[in-house]
Amino acid sequence: MQIWAGFMTALVAISLWGGAAHVFSESVLVASPSGVWAFVSSNSGLLVRATLTTAQNAALGFVWGNIAAVIMAGLVTMQPRAERVVSASALVIFCLPLVATGPILRVISGPGSAPQIALAGLAVYYTTYLALLVGLRAMPRSWSDLMSVYGRGSFMTLITVRARASLPYLFAGLQIAAPAAFLGAMIGEFTGAERGLGVLTLRAMRGLDVDATWSLALISATVAVLAYALVGRIGERLVGYAPVIILSPPKPPTRRNIWPGIAEMVAAALFLLLLWQVAMDVFQLNRFFAKRPGDVVRYLAADADARLTLWVALKETMAATIPGFLSGLLLGAGLAVAVILFPKATRVVLPVAVALRSIPIITTAPLIVLALGRGATGTITVVAVMIFFPTFVACLQGLRQAPQQIIDVFHTYGAGPVRVLGAAQIPAMMPALFASAKMAVPAAILAVTTTEWLATGKGIGVLMALTSTTSNYNMLWSCIVAITLVAVVMYAAVLWAERMVLAIYASEQLT
Amino acid sequence: MTYLMHPTRRSFLSTGAAALGAASFGLPAGADDRKQVNFQLSWLHSVQFGGSYIAQKSGYWSDQGLAVSLTQGGPNAPVEPPVVSGTALVGISAADYTAAAVAQGAPFKIIAVAMQKNPFAIASLSANPVNAPADLVGKKIGMSVSNTPVLQALCALNDVDINQIEIVPTQYDPAPLVSGQVDCLLCWETDLPVAMTIQGVDNTTMLMADHGYSVHSQTYIATEDSIANRRAELVGLLKGEIAGWNDYLADTKAAAVLTVDMFPDAGLDLPTQVLQAERQVPLMFSDLTAANGFGWFTDETVAANVETLALLGREVGPDLWDRSLLEDAHA
Repeated sequence: MQIWAGFMTALVAISLWGGAAHVFSESVLVASPSGVWAFVSSNSGLLVRATLTTAQNAALGFVWGNIAAVIMAGLVTMQPRAERVVSASALVIFCLPLVATGPILRVISGPGSAPQIALAGLAVYYTTYLALLVGLRAMPRSWSDLMSVYGRGSFMTLITVRARASLPYLFAGLQIAAPAAFLGAMIGEFTGAERGLGVLTLRAMRGLDVDATWSLALISATVAVLAYALVGRIGERLVGYAPVIILSPPKPPTRRNIWPGIAEMVAAALFLLLLWQVAMDVFQLNRFFAKRPGDVVRYLAADADARLTLWVALKETMAATIPGFLSGLLLGAGLAVAVILFPKATRVVLPVAVALRSIPIITTAPLIVLALGRGATGTITVVAVMIFFPTFVACLQGLRQAPQQIIDVFHTYGAGPVRVLGAAQIPAMMPALFASAKMAVPAAILAVTTTEWLATGKGIGVLMALTSTTSNYNMLWSCIVAITLVAVVMYAAVLWAERMVLAIYASEQLT
Repeated sequence: MTYLMHPTRRSFLSTGAAALGAASFGLPAGADDRKQVNFQLSWLHSVQFGGSYIAQKSGYWSDQGLAVSLTQGGPNAPVEPPVVSGTALVGISAADYTAAAVAQGAPFKIIAVAMQKNPFAIASLSANPVNAPADLVGKKIGMSVSNTPVLQALCALNDVDINQIEIVPTQYDPAPLVSGQVDCLLCWETDLPVAMTIQGVDNTTMLMADHGYSVHSQTYIATEDSIANRRAELVGLLKGEIAGWNDYLADTKAAAVLTVDMFPDAGLDLPTQVLQAERQVPLMFSDLTAANGFGWFTDETVAANVETLALLGREVGPDLWDRSLLEDAHA
């Protein structure tokens, strides 16, 4: 049945596509299915080699990134006190713009595929870390009590009990990581790689080769969707079931006294600054491009023009990020609600949404911008699209978590579907929506900087990219700091809004 | 892991290891004796670097005792950092980028100049052509805003009021010109116009270098430290380049074919490469190079560069250029 639905969806999509290509045949935006087929069949050898190269780097990054995630999650589970510092650092490193980290990794590693692998790893470790952190704690209290009774320490508990309890969660995380690794590897190829899908995408975009751009978008989307499905299938085989989990950092216990929280924030910030300084000193990176925290402070303090340039670019970037972020969340939640009201739509919409959320942003961004123009609308749409799908999937799961007994009570009183939705299902969805909003912060920043850099030529993304002609590495590092601070502030704002809303709708979540 | 070490230590270790290997196994002198050198190109592989591929393929660098790896550039692969840090011995830059890097503290010298004429051009449709800077008045020009200083310099050199030109921010693609959103584009002589010609769009180009815009392009840069301590390798690398580019001039089509063959994974198209190879000849070879050899520059061309760079807001002196290695290579 599901295969049938998928087949029908694909058929509808292709005929819509063909129709659109016919309508827009005068423009240079939409490739026709026949044009794509011609490109793929006449370049099949090239495309196969490129796909294999990118997939191989993505796979290596996937392995390394996830190993790092497992080590971090294990560490935090054994030493819960370290959690705030580790989690905050992990978030900040995840938010670092790939546009900026790429060239630095290239200089450190020289020629070869190290940057592609490293960027693929960087793209996956955070989601796996979060999933695993939830999983390692998803263990009945009585089990850990039993372990203590037998005199076992936290390490043995981790290995013998927690690790097994966490497997379903690990696989849920790995499933999200698979397409992300592919995207990371493609962006890594922009740093001067010799071959791969990213290199071909670059040429196709520069040459305005629409058939090639669409072919590459389709191929990379297919590979990403297959990777997603494959990891899901392996997980099902090994674990037996897929848990419904919502990726959100576990909430630390609330405290009346805010000072320990502030102290931990300061510790995390100091730790990151130290990491920055020490990493550069250890690798003896040249100060010409590898600026230290002190260099950035001195640069911004001394140069008023630089502060103004940075501020103007940051405003431009935020003018696209915030509307895109909010509309992506609203649309995702809105469609989830619509699907609940019209349950028959689910079978068609859900597989499509799962597939679409795996499509690498760098292949879709230029197409969206081509269609909607280089103004704010194009960028906002890219950000919204990037956030929309994960939000939709999570919100749908959230809506379905509304307890059946409560819904039955409403039905007993003859309440209509809209009433049930407003009073029971939407409150049940709220935690899922906020969890998606938190994960959407880094995603929005990745989307906006990549689009600015590749397509629109505005804002922080392009200011960072300009460094390659001006050698103004002080500005590049200032941009990194600014964009990271923005991410942290947005994240904090989501946390704040979550507390406000959940205090009304789901106070049990705030314990 | 070895990549992560400091370059000087790395080169010490690798030469040490090579010496150890040669000593313990008594290897005959040959390919193993060649010095490993990284050469950082400024952009993705294409016939733009055709002479270097010939040097590689024909063994001109091996003859000099060098094993050169050509590292391609890209939109997210700047040239200057690997050269500063010693990861690359030589990089391909341009006089304006080099001047900017030097202003930021990079100890670079320009040691040879591949493109005597700057490749920046104004491309227009032949039905509505821009043949001289004065034709720009009242026209809409599509360009990246970051290139505004380039247009300002052209206007200043030719007494054109830049306020009478409407700048439309576009990305680097020919679509706005073809679809009529703009009247002309600021681009390279050797890429977008070539792409348009291949697609059958009749176009006209005006080379900015023919109207006073003197900025050496595709320049070879090295650090002062390398010039002092790795002179033999630098001269050897330049000798290979000279031989390769002389072959290129003799048969540009062969260079295009070689480029497509050498990089089957780069997605290159032969007709485009052939046309690009022809188009860049007048930029790279002139009476000056005919008389003195590939890569040459003189006090006069340097003075013209210093003047144009000043218009671009880059204050440099003639000491940014160092011809001594090129003189050794041609000797």
